[in-house]
Parts: sequence; structure tokens; C-alpha cells
Amino acid sequence: MAEYLLVESQGSYAGPGAEAFLGDAVRLARAGHGVAVLLIENGVTEGLAAAGPAVGRVLAAGGEVWADAFSLDQRALSAQRLAPGVRAVEMDEVAERLLRPGVRGVWH
Amino acid sequence: MAGLLPRADVLIAIMGAPHTGDLVTSAFRLSQALLARGARVHLWTCGHATGLTRQALGPAKPRNVVDWAREYPTTAALAAELLAAFPTTLHWYACRFCSQERGADAHIPGIRLRAPFKFTEHLDAADKAFFLGVC
Repeated sequence: MAEYLLVESQGSYAGPGAEAFLGDAVRLARAGHGVAVLLIENGVTEGLAAAGPAVGRVLAAGGEVWADAFSLDQRALSAQRLAPGVRAVEMDEVAERLLRPGVRGVWH
Repeated sequence: MAGLLPRADVLIAIMGAPHTGDLVTSAFRLSQALLARGARVHLWTCGHATGLTRQALGPAKPRNVVDWAREYPTTAALAAELLAAFPTTLHWYACRFCSQERGADAHIPGIRLRAPFKFTEHLDAADKAFFLGVC
């Protein structure tokens, strides 16, 4: 099984692409692949507790969901506002995951 | 042909227009984090992103009228700093066609122009590729 690092940078305010992308993450996780979703830039809004159900579906399917701490800070969003299961991460952790052998990165 | 290029752990292709969001900030942050971990990185800019390293940008942005004393580095200055910090593991390429089409083919030192059809060689030379945005 493959490992994926999926990066959502736009969020649902930019259109339906974010929900479709997170849907791909759900399908990959359900198929048994390792999936980590990084929410970055405006994409961090998807990780808030008040956001829609897309991120919850990724977590329920067994995927990891990260929110970029820098993007949260830039938007004055506290990590405490993240949905349960969504973890704030620094870019160093993202780099470490991307450099793992076999991990495929996809940016949206 | 890919043998002529240095190997890379990650190719980051900046395809998106750089001034529509935080894309460039993310690209710089990710590149720096990868390089700090010892990774070999190729950066490729296409479309309007080729303007990030234009020589004409100079070292600093025009002054901010509400923060007159502060100096903000241009993306060209940031790129030069990154290249100087990681001289053997960072290689930065700009698409020749996109650069010339925009009159932006005079880049800062360290940026290599490559024909667009050479892009596949860069894909071959990298273990993984990351595409940021759409041209």
C-alpha cells in the first residue's frame, strides 16, 4: 500500500475543489493506503471545529489531518479551535514526511 | 539526458501565479525545511512564477508608507539567500519560454534557464515531484 501526503491549500471558500480533494483522501484511506492531509494557507479553515464534515470523514477513514501552524497564526486562528483529531504541525514535520521513501505528495 | 542534471530528492514545481495567495511563502518554507534536513531540492518556476527571481526586482521591495523604516526583501533576494545557504543541495531552474514571454529572462545569479521540453528530465532526476498550483 502506498503512502500519501495530500496538501489542501484552498479550502471550500474557493470552490468545490477542496471537498472533492478531501473526498479523494477518504477513498485512499478506505482503500488501505496511508494518508496524511496537510491543511495549509486558506485550507486551514477546513480543520476548524466549526467547518464542514469533510475533514471528519478523513479522520473516520483512518487518515491523519494536520493544520499548518504558520497558516493558523497568519489568520489569527488558535490551534484550540481545530476539530478534535486535527493536529497543528510545523513545516519541519511536513518535510520529514515528504522525504520518507515511498510517500507521494499531491498539492491542491 | 537526466544524467546531466544533479539528482534531487524532491522537485518542487511552482506553477501557480505567485501573487494570488500564499503559494510563494509555502514554497519557500517547504524548500527551506527540506534543505535543512539535508535533502537535495530542485525548484522549477513556470508561468508568472518565473518573475520571482527577476534581476530587476533588486534587493528590497518599494517602501511601505505605513512602515517607512522597515525594509522588505524581494523574492529575488530571498531566493539568493536560499541559494547561498544551500549552494550544493539547491538548484533553481526557470522555464526559458515563460521567462522570455514575460521579458523576465534576466534572472539573479544561480538561476538556470531551461527549455520547457526539458522538464521531463527534471522529473527523471528527482525521486518525487511536488506541483504547486497550475500554470
